Amino acid sequence: MSAEYTCLVVEDSPMMRQLLVFALSRVKNLRVTEADDGVDGLRKLAGNNYDIILTDINMPIMDGLKLVKRVRTDPVHKDTPIVVITTEGSDEDRQRAIALGANAYITKPIQAPQVIAKVKELLKITT
Amino acid sequence: MMDKKAKGRRSDRPPVDLAAQLKLQRDSFVSTFFKKGAEFTEELVAENDRLRGAMADLERENASLRTQLASDEAIRDLLRKIEELEREKQALLSHVHEAEAYSTQFTSRHAQVEEELANLANLHVASYHLHSTMRLPLVVRHLRELLQQLVGARAYAIYVADDARGELVAIAAEGRDVVQLTAIPYGAGETHDDAQAAVERAFVTGIAHVEEGPIHDDRVSPAACLPMTIDDRAVGVIAIYALLPQKGAFVAVDFELFKMLGRHAGSALVGAELFAAADGRIPGVGVFQGLSTSNFPKSAPAA
Repeated sequence: MSAEYTCLVVEDSPMMRQLLVFALSRVKNLRVTEADDGVDGLRKLAGNNYDIILTDINMPIMDGLKLVKRVRTDPVHKDTPIVVITTEGSDEDRQRAIALGANAYITKPIQAPQVIAKVKELLKITT
Repeated sequence: MMDKKAKGRRSDRPPVDLAAQLKLQRDSFVSTFFKKGAEFTEELVAENDRLRGAMADLERENASLRTQLASDEAIRDLLRKIEELEREKQALLSHVHEAEAYSTQFTSRHAQVEEELANLANLHVASYHLHSTMRLPLVVRHLRELLQQLVGARAYAIYVADDARGELVAIAAEGRDVVQLTAIPYGAGETHDDAQAAVERAFVTGIAHVEEGPIHDDRVSPAACLPMTIDDRAVGVIAIYALLPQKGAFVAVDFELFKMLGRHAGSALVGAELFAAADGRIPGVGVFQGLSTSNFPKSAPAA
């Protein structure tokens, strides 16, 4: 029996969220949970164990970088891979996200195969 | 008479010394005969031994030659086997190469299918959200998200036609101050700058203009002008001036998105506006009752 992975997608745009969920549906045995913003993301993280987190940066209430910072102080998720997805494409933004603890950085507009490849790489899924 | 006869007759008997001599000769002959016989026998035995030895040598040589022959046959068998194995190896290698080529082809095809699927998902998600609401602000928000997040537009404007004034008016913009985007008169032959002329041309002709190849930031005229139509009548234009830095050019799926926007964005905006003007009232059922399949416009006959 193959293992099941869990993923939390934190994105305020319903359109982008739907696209990410579609892309992630192409990864076998990956169960996806959606959150509207950083606070909703933290709420969903509490009491649940996720194998990977994908988050947007620019979001209302709590942005993605603050979420990354908070997740890294959470003993349960301090080592959980985080992929930051954003429209910002500069190296500075990338460095900032990585410095805060993000594992990877994908810029919009997203390419589904790129998202799939990155998630598989971080979850060490070979098929 | 008898004595006379006896006297006249010569005796046939050899003298005694002659007999001895003959006996001696006979003995000598017999002795020589046996001696020669013994010698001859010895020679025969020796010859026989020699021949036996030669025969043994020949048998050994023969055996050796047979062994060598058998060995040569074994080598020939091995060579034949090697040739067969070589042929099998070549056949297997050929199969492996075929399988590899098939696998590469399959992988490439799989990637193409995945890409097509992702593109279709983009189109589905975009049109789904565009028509998911009749609230004008939400339609505009979805249109903006679509342009920013799916197309990767950094600067753009959405113009809607004001038929009463004969102008295209910017209702939303990003990367440009919407207030400073002056209305663009259309169809009156007024002179415009390059950017406005491109927008007006797309509106009047109903033909989209999309720049192929790299899009540079310093360009003045829009990289894409997309007329929004309802039943082939243009109701507005989407103008894209600049793309996000990480996106240097429009890609295949953008062209599909533009086609979808051309057909759907106008009806979504106008529908939402009409819905708002009607205070969100749904038309009475009477509006629909007069419709039946017989009233639908007939499709053109096949050529």
